[in-house]
Amino acid sequence: MAGPNLALMLWSIMVKEVRQAFRDKRMAMMLLVAPLMQIVVLGYAVDLEVDDIPTVVCDQDGTPSSRELLDATLAEGTFSRVASVTDASEAQDMVQSGAAAAAWVVPRGYERDLRRGTPTSVQVLLDGTDTNRAQVASAAAQQMAVAHALPIAVEQMSRAAATQQRAPSAPQIAPVARILYNPRLRSATYMVPGLVATVVLIVTTIVTAMGITREKEMGTMEQLLVTPLRPWVLLVGKCLPFAGVGMIEVAGILAIGTWLFDVPIRGSLLVVFAGAALYLMSTLGAGVFISTVSSTQQQAILGGFLFLMPAILLSGFMTPIDNMPEFIRWLTYANPVRYFIEVLRGVLLKGAGFRDLGVRFAALACFGGLILALSALRFKKRLG
Amino acid sequence: MNAFVRRVIALSRKEILHIIRDPRVIYMALGMPVILLLLFGYAVSFDLDRLPIALIDRDRTPASREYAASLAASGAFAVVGRPMDADEIEAAFRRDAWKVGVLIPRGFARSLARGETAEVQILLDGADGTTTSVALGHIVGVTQAETTRLLGEGGATMALPVDARVVMMFNPAMKSVLFVVPGLIALILAIMAVLLTALTVAREWERGSMEQLFSTPVRRVEVILGKLLPYLGVGMIQVLIVTTLGAELFDVPVRGSLALLFGCAALFLAGMLGQGLLISVVTRNQQVATQVGLLSSMLPTLLLSGFLFPVENMACPLQIIATVLPATHFIVILRGVLLKGVGFDVLWPHMAALMAFAAVVIALSTLRFRRRLA
Repeated sequence: MAGPNLALMLWSIMVKEVRQAFRDKRMAMMLLVAPLMQIVVLGYAVDLEVDDIPTVVCDQDGTPSSRELLDATLAEGTFSRVASVTDASEAQDMVQSGAAAAAWVVPRGYERDLRRGTPTSVQVLLDGTDTNRAQVASAAAQQMAVAHALPIAVEQMSRAAATQQRAPSAPQIAPVARILYNPRLRSATYMVPGLVATVVLIVTTIVTAMGITREKEMGTMEQLLVTPLRPWVLLVGKCLPFAGVGMIEVAGILAIGTWLFDVPIRGSLLVVFAGAALYLMSTLGAGVFISTVSSTQQQAILGGFLFLMPAILLSGFMTPIDNMPEFIRWLTYANPVRYFIEVLRGVLLKGAGFRDLGVRFAALACFGGLILALSALRFKKRLG
Repeated sequence: MNAFVRRVIALSRKEILHIIRDPRVIYMALGMPVILLLLFGYAVSFDLDRLPIALIDRDRTPASREYAASLAASGAFAVVGRPMDADEIEAAFRRDAWKVGVLIPRGFARSLARGETAEVQILLDGADGTTTSVALGHIVGVTQAETTRLLGEGGATMALPVDARVVMMFNPAMKSVLFVVPGLIALILAIMAVLLTALTVAREWERGSMEQLFSTPVRRVEVILGKLLPYLGVGMIQVLIVTTLGAELFDVPVRGSLALLFGCAALFLAGMLGQGLLISVVTRNQQVATQVGLLSSMLPTLLLSGFLFPVENMACPLQIIATVLPATHFIVILRGVLLKGVGFDVLWPHMAALMAFAAVVIALSTLRFRRRLA
């Protein structure tokens, strides 16, 4: 007798859950519209390429050579002039007040030194409070100086060679970069996979945790317990609808990503959804676990946060995993979000298949099964 | 006036009792900043440290080995793989084994000896753009340094005629944590303040206790102040924890005035609490309030405030949003006070922006409160 009854019970708890979640039209909107808004904002906002740094220019030399250097610098695009001053301390004040983030100071005597062949230097003041930007700016400044200096050096050398009756020699190494999968390094292209993973994580974990806690808070959990429902049926019935929401979100974000931001889908979508299914086991399991340790929705959201922030930070979504210190890098191996992002990047951008991603799938299945089993056990114990 | 103060205090006491009765919320509210600070402090870094790269040396000459050694010597890269051909690198990219491949073609040393330009091929995994762009920058830098050295060898002792002397102001060691802490303070305050108030007020609607509150002689403004003040206190404690820990663990300096810092934090908190209040008054449902709260506090603070991504790189409509966003101004203030040591004379426009936002949202939620009841 258990067979048909079980399916019916499962079905009715799912219907109840969907009705409850979407009874409030605003909730439905938040669950489906919010992620789409996020991708649009993110796609347009996140540009890791640093350019147009507001720069104050201080040309103390005021010669054709100094102007040539500054024009070449500003033309490259990393620095963008917001002001020109004559006093170096004025330039420094502008960086201090935040009116500019960089200052280029060309010293008096720059052209004279160049003519004489005395090495000279220009000073670049950078606002170090934004480390990311400052680092890119520093590298760019040095590269521009070298790029500017090389032809001058080569010319000086060939002139010297000519007077000494030698053949001119200017050995140089030129790196030729070929960036695979994303030749123009567009941020949207590599951010969308991370976004899919984090949005699904945030929505499914929080909604599951709060949905179960809400029943406790309102006292309706007790009512459910007096019905012949078994705990695991209740659990599955509560999770499945949100797994559906998660899948719809994966599809929605991918659709917008390809449509608005030309994110490629080079591999098979089947692999993506298989990965998503395994990943959802982890996120829903985490949601259930949080609900078992919270008694109010306020606690659930805070607990959810405590789990979400590290999971997102240690996933390689926003900052490179390779830059993290060794022990933190080890922590990322225990993070399902990391594996799902790698699966998504692999399939979408690199056209990878099950064979390339085998380890990731194994890890996702492992963590998913473990988290879900643990939280189901806890859930059962709390109810029993 | 006296009765007003008394009623506000009574309501605040009720709210504080709510908070204290549920100590787990307090633990999490105060523990979360610590965990986030540790995580961000250690995990967010843009410095490459021994990124595994694959190297194909087709030249096999002292010159090519020297170039490869200069890559490893920079500390940014570690040569872990020596595949036979470029296809192998690409296959490894698909498995995420390496992110960078360097190919030194045959004839590298010969070109250099002739005084010509020798090319090296760099293969990069564009799927992980954050790592790739930093890595490419490093490789270009190392290569230019090598070129300079080679030129120097060619023409006796030759220094490059022009060089850029970069001075890092406020953060000479380029520690990422100094960049992260101000943004983190804003992030923690924004999320906690918006969510906590949104939930606590929405809960009163959900449970019907808001109606009970209205049957007492308290006025709307008093209810709002009574709700906001305790959470303002919690927020200030969070600021204190993060700045103290930041200074202790990561040597984040406080170069400006602490009073100014806390004054601005209070202004920012007032705006965030007001935002939470507005959300709860409009939604009256904890679940919806959470989703709206998350969307309106976490996402903009992470993405649009200049915390991780510079505002001036964004598209124009987003820059406008960023200008309205209190977190943008608060982060400028925090960086100014903590790292640059600037004061009121520089920061007042940002403080005015914080104040304006707080005034508008609190006024809006008070208005909305009244209309809903009538």
